[in-house]
Amino acid sequence: MKNRLKVLRAEHNLSQADLAGRLGVSRQTINAIETEKYEPSLTLAFKVAKLFEQPIEQIFTPNGDKPGPNT
Amino acid sequence: MRTVAGQNRGGKSLVLAAILFVLTVFVSMAVGEMPQLPATVRVPIALIPALIFAYFIYQRRRLLHTEDELEQRIQLEALSIAYPLTFLLLVILGQLERVITLKPEDWDYGHIWPFVFIFYIVGLMIARKRYQ
Repeated sequence: MKNRLKVLRAEHNLSQADLAGRLGVSRQTINAIETEKYEPSLTLAFKVAKLFEQPIEQIFTPNGDKPGPNT
Repeated sequence: MRTVAGQNRGGKSLVLAAILFVLTVFVSMAVGEMPQLPATVRVPIALIPALIFAYFIYQRRRLLHTEDELEQRIQLEALSIAYPLTFLLLVILGQLERVITLKPEDWDYGHIWPFVFIFYIVGLMIARKRYQ
């Protein structure tokens, strides 16, 4: 699964540690999601979507699919 | 939700339990080599490490609930490596025992459980590397 977490984090001037703190996970988890080595749970994906105030499908997309039309 | 304070407390308890376990294993090994002591003394001392290890397992389980989802996955993957390896070791020893006599001084229970711990550490290293 592809994601735009790194881009969104940069847009909001957040470090991996900052984002990890806000989501209640470890910095390692954020790094693993950004490098697409780990796919987050639905709960965590919704938390990310809520934090960045974007629909979940505009942040996380299955491999091969493009993000939603409002990107 | 994971809490750093909770994780730190749990982590310290785990380290303390691990240190106590190692110390008591050495004490029980030393006492085990004193045949002049009665069994009523040697048996309880031999079981003290098991009690401490039970506490270690309890603390590890508690800590697991404070860890985030990636760490829980890493722990699960570590066990998914360690468990089959343990099974494989037991199958090998069991099969060998059918055809040859394994020396108890080389392959008793006391020699097998350290392998289980080593397999867990190996599993943990493999799982952590995967998500780095």
